[in-house]
Amino acid sequence: MKMTQYYTRMGDGKRVQMTREEILSDIQAGTADAADMAGIPALNDDQIEHLIDIISCQDRVVGVAPGKEVVMTYDIGQLDFTGDNGNSGNGVDMGRLEAALLHERALGADTFELANSDYSIKPVKPIISMEKQTMEEIQQEIVAPFFYGAMPNMGLYYAPDGPYQNPADLMREFKIEESMAASEAAAEHLARDIEYVGTHIMAAGSDGFNFDTTGSAGDADFVGTLNGVKALRAACPEAYINVGAAGESVMGIHGMIEFEGTVCAGLYPHQQAQVIAQAGADVFGAVCNTNTSRSLAWNLARSVTFIKKAVEDSPIPVHVDMGMGVGGIPMKETPPVDAVARCNKAMVEIANVDGV
Amino acid sequence: MAFEAESKVLFDAMVAVKLPGIVDAVNKAKDAGMPATDIINAMSSGMTEVGVMFQRGKLFLPHVLSAAAGMNKAMEILGPELAKSGDAGAAKKGTAVMGTVEGDVHDIGKSICSTMLQCAGFDVHDLGRDVPKAKFIEEIKAGCNFCGMSALMTTTMTVMKEIIDMAKAEGIRDKVCMMVGGAPITQAYADKIGADVYGETANDTVAKAKEVAA
Amino acid sequence: MGMDIPHLMASGMGGIRSAGDLVARMMYDKKMKLKDAKAYVAKKLGLDCVEIADECIMRDLREELGIGVVTGVPGAPRGIAAKMNIEKLLDIKINSCEKFRQSLKN
Repeated sequence: MKMTQYYTRMGDGKRVQMTREEILSDIQAGTADAADMAGIPALNDDQIEHLIDIISCQDRVVGVAPGKEVVMTYDIGQLDFTGDNGNSGNGVDMGRLEAALLHERALGADTFELANSDYSIKPVKPIISMEKQTMEEIQQEIVAPFFYGAMPNMGLYYAPDGPYQNPADLMREFKIEESMAASEAAAEHLARDIEYVGTHIMAAGSDGFNFDTTGSAGDADFVGTLNGVKALRAACPEAYINVGAAGESVMGIHGMIEFEGTVCAGLYPHQQAQVIAQAGADVFGAVCNTNTSRSLAWNLARSVTFIKKAVEDSPIPVHVDMGMGVGGIPMKETPPVDAVARCNKAMVEIANVDGV
Repeated sequence: MAFEAESKVLFDAMVAVKLPGIVDAVNKAKDAGMPATDIINAMSSGMTEVGVMFQRGKLFLPHVLSAAAGMNKAMEILGPELAKSGDAGAAKKGTAVMGTVEGDVHDIGKSICSTMLQCAGFDVHDLGRDVPKAKFIEEIKAGCNFCGMSALMTTTMTVMKEIIDMAKAEGIRDKVCMMVGGAPITQAYADKIGADVYGETANDTVAKAKEVAA
Repeated sequence: MGMDIPHLMASGMGGIRSAGDLVARMMYDKKMKLKDAKAYVAKKLGLDCVEIADECIMRDLREELGIGVVTGVPGAPRGIAAKMNIEKLLDIKINSCEKFRQSLKN
């Protein structure tokens, strides 16, 4: 007898058919991988069964029951409308006020943010007055919490964009100490810039700051951001601070750099949550990257395993990052609606996230 | 298996990523009469494990480099014996030009990939980021038999295909293994543009490059 | 929009369409987790946790409370005015309202 085949997806979005047994096998492998990497519990039988039901449901859109809704925060500001395909934008040029109000009134955003087109913190310094002006203007009109958002993106502090030598290049030349010193200097510079940009934008009435993809340039980027967050929290106790990570593990480029006594390289989401809270953030944006060669079942099970533990251990609310190529969602500019809805439901019902 | 105990000690020393320990293990294996090529092979297995541990967040870049420094030191120690046996170039698996394609300034992933390839025994020419297309072609003409191209943006990943097409037009496509990677790249995209290797991670790239080099 | 709309449909509170903005404010203002933030907002609104995500209930209640509505209602408080009403409703301070007050001469 032929086994029933279910339509599902690969990590690159491609539609495939899998049997229930194949889905189960991938879920088991995905959750085991996360559990092994982070030393955390794998999903239990009930949770696996629930995940199979979500993935094998053949309705195009799935969702949670009334009363189980979660907060939905947005990153990247207006760029999802105005950007090119480099940031998955629609290429529709419009003002930032219009984009903010459209997100609030047409897309159901619970929070939104202002962003500069580079979406990095460093380039905001020379245009901070313009950003403040726009922030003041939009705050007059918008009702929902409205942040300023940018990536710490410490890569911009390394040559040729910045004053410090590239640590990865120095490592390849076996200049390990010089590499570490360059990372540390860049991290201090980043922390100063975060305080500068953050306090200025708060003075313009921003509700707060969203740090997107923290640690994308490795552990020193992560530590520099946390030091910046700590300074911003001290200067602006009223700021709403969201710190989103760059991946399920903090990449150890430096390897030993610490935030208040904790070595940050290799921290997993449940551990990232602790130091991010310690720095003074209000909400942690947890991330797990998608492997494009694996199935949705494998990716989602792995992602839910990491995020569930983060939610359990975090002293602050956890909003899971569920954009293109994260949170189990396929890495595709046009992520399939069926896959997005399944990932969302699983994160809310199994990982118990506070927000998306 | 001959020299099983020495092989294990060499493997363990590499995974422990301490340079003095690695050098000690190499000297002991040499003194025990273990052939130089076998020593290098045992160390290479250890290096592969180091790469896996890096990918899984158990070891960090300085650890990887420390193991690689041990590998280099072993080559110095064993150089004369390798030369005698005609295996002096045994550890060199190929020459790779690496770069983030023009228009794209993201280079963290590419740099890690370069480092891991170097640690795996490849000669690496890392051109950095925002690398003009012609530079890749020049390096291939100059003898690079692996060409690693990285892109973080969907707007720049198209440059990879242009470089592959340029290599075809220059008649050098068959001399080089074209490798692609970066956040928006998938196996399907690699197939579409005619690349030979898609690296999901730095480790994946190294493993596939080693397969090609074998 | 391939992500925004499916997320909203699957589990989104809906922002000012319901009470999502208010729950978000309590999360960020007081570091409240979802359950506590929803309970706090529900209590302030005199509703239960299912009703605060119900557009049908919240549409009229938001207009009545002057805390901003998703449809264009001429004369209804919006922006800073709506947020000042939210401050009172939730018993919090909102930065843009504080800055607005500081900019007034008297």
